[in-house]
Amino acid sequence: MIQLALHNILKQYGSYLAADNVSFEIPSGKIFGLLGPNGAGKTTLIRMITRILYPDAGQILFAGQSLTDLHTQRIGYMPEERGLYKKMKVGEHLIYLARLKGLTKAQAIQRVEFWLNKFEIKEWRNKTIEELSKGMSQKIQFIATVIHEPELLILDEPFSGLDPINSLLIESEIRELSKQGKTIIFSTHRMEQVEEICSDIVLVNKGRKILEGSVSELKQRFKENKFEVKFSGELPPNLLSGFSVVEQQMNRVIVQSGEANHGNDLLKHFLNANVPVHSFQELLPSINEIFIKQVEAA
Amino acid sequence: MNKIFIIIQREYITRVTRPAFWIATLLAPIGFLVLMVASVLISTYDNESTTVAILDESGLFKEYFKQNGIADATDGSVHFYIEETSFNDLESIIKSPNEKKKYQAIIRIPQNYNLNNPGNPVISCLYAERIGLEKKQFIIGRLNDMVKKQRMIANQISAETQDLLQKKVDVAFESLMNLNEKKGYDIAASIVGLLMAMAIYISIFFYGTMIMKGVQEEKTSRIVEVLTSSVKPFQLLMGKIMGVGAVGMTQFVLWIFLIFLINIFVAPLLGITLANQTTTIHTASANDIDTDSAALLIQNLSQLPFTQIMILFPLYFLGGFLLYGSLFAAVGAAMGEDGDQQSLMLPVSVPIVISVFIAMNVMNNPDSAMGFWGSLIPFTSPVVMSALLPFHQPWWHITLSLLLLIAGFVFTTFIAAKIYRIGILMYGKKITFKEMIKWIIAKN
Repeated sequence: MIQLALHNILKQYGSYLAADNVSFEIPSGKIFGLLGPNGAGKTTLIRMITRILYPDAGQILFAGQSLTDLHTQRIGYMPEERGLYKKMKVGEHLIYLARLKGLTKAQAIQRVEFWLNKFEIKEWRNKTIEELSKGMSQKIQFIATVIHEPELLILDEPFSGLDPINSLLIESEIRELSKQGKTIIFSTHRMEQVEEICSDIVLVNKGRKILEGSVSELKQRFKENKFEVKFSGELPPNLLSGFSVVEQQMNRVIVQSGEANHGNDLLKHFLNANVPVHSFQELLPSINEIFIKQVEAA
Repeated sequence: MNKIFIIIQREYITRVTRPAFWIATLLAPIGFLVLMVASVLISTYDNESTTVAILDESGLFKEYFKQNGIADATDGSVHFYIEETSFNDLESIIKSPNEKKKYQAIIRIPQNYNLNNPGNPVISCLYAERIGLEKKQFIIGRLNDMVKKQRMIANQISAETQDLLQKKVDVAFESLMNLNEKKGYDIAASIVGLLMAMAIYISIFFYGTMIMKGVQEEKTSRIVEVLTSSVKPFQLLMGKIMGVGAVGMTQFVLWIFLIFLINIFVAPLLGITLANQTTTIHTASANDIDTDSAALLIQNLSQLPFTQIMILFPLYFLGGFLLYGSLFAAVGAAMGEDGDQQSLMLPVSVPIVISVFIAMNVMNNPDSAMGFWGSLIPFTSPVVMSALLPFHQPWWHITLSLLLLIAGFVFTTFIAAKIYRIGILMYGKKITFKEMIKWIIAKN
């Protein structure tokens, strides 16, 4: 099922196009990376999905239905610029935000209890937000985002300000939620996280979609047919035609092959020459490299 | 609707449970008490008395002085002495550098003074220390009486006729339209009207600023992005205004209760009551001290249309609060994160201040055109109409004014919601009026 579909979304601020005919679909249960450099229009897209803004043209479908305000109760949004009421107590604050998402007071209390227990932070309940560290309030913000068990989660830079332990905690929660079938839109600048977490991405720049696909498919699409071989002894004297060495260190070589060639041929060549091979891998571009190239090309 | 209620609840509870709320609630009546004591003390403060020498060079008043003397002011502010030395002697006395002078002024009745033409030559009053306005009025009054009486004697008018001529005219101003408006009613109505007008004026500013600060807090803490993904900006705006409004109402009820307690239990211990405090305000500006004014005032207070006031005052209070509350919220949303750009407050605060000026004017001219229009225009009507309510306004006037106020409220909320919706998510940019107008015109 398609959880969220954007069809030809257009949003203009004066003469500036913040979203220029953007379309993409997110199947349910996926962790979907929404990427783009600063000012690319990611926040505008997210704000339209969360009904903070309305598109000038185009259509957004939520689980097949045209997106309305009612759907916002089924969406959880953690913006990059986070904030909570400083003077409010953690427990009260979470209950308040949960009730705004449509939970009854009793439900809200119960869920707050559950999450505070889960994160082992029960003793924070009566602390005011201003007493918390940045990382601590980040956790509260995360709870506030998921407390109403939304079908679609939008997380904008969810790991910023978190220490490695808490990052891991949130990451495992994200995976857990994904396993439960929730759809997650993950917006970040940290590409290594995209690679680790997301199954699909869309890349936007200057309000336009410039790339879309699954992480593995994109890596394949943008690969440069390079292979890394680690070996001992001497490099075989004559490489096969169509292959050329682009980088060589002691016992490591990076070989560029032509489009038509297959890595197996290269490996066979090493084996035939009786060179002991320790590792052999195709070098795929990182999402970061793809991102930079595409943005620069655009 | 349910979400607005949740927001109202939060706005209300977080504010009412703060110690600052209770400190303000308890301190304000104490402030009121201090104000009461201060106003009585200031109005009864014994200014240094002025001693005036009267030098009658014309000799016209010799007999008069012998028989009647010239009475000092009852509050001791002005003393008169009849002097018979020369003007030069007196002049040197009052010009002397001595700190404690015998006289501060000389009243010189010139030699060729003409009772039948008191304008030429005139009586002069030469002073070494400035004489206040009230004292001047008092001195003129005394001299006027003196000249009048002497003129009557000169014209051989009998003592009885003199008494008759001296009798004051008393006019009972009473309304034909309203039987309760008896003599002195206007003073009672003015005082109550002005108190209500000031109450609305102060609370619009006080709670309006509270709303503005609240909006700004949400903007700077960035929570607004989370909130607007759950509720519509309009709901957020309404929730905040109504929540703060409920806080204001609570505080008001508590204040009235506390002031009531102070007036009943504490003030009598200090010898002050609201009634005699208000009469001091009234009599301070009047020349003739009406000893019955306190009794008259209390009698007239009971004649005010209290039922009407009790129903309508809260409505105007609410209307004014909602109208300006939404505008203050819009200003808060448009302001920068650091809360600068105070200039954005100007278009909101100017009409409130103007309405107070109109309300003051209305005290003197309850049926003036300015009062009429001021009580209809929604930006001024909450304050102006409150000042007018004790003067028995016709129902059609009140109805029209309330309808316009509702329309005004709907209009400002509509405008404010548009500014608010965009303003709260606008960071790091100085917002101009031109831009705000663009937001108002823009569709979504």
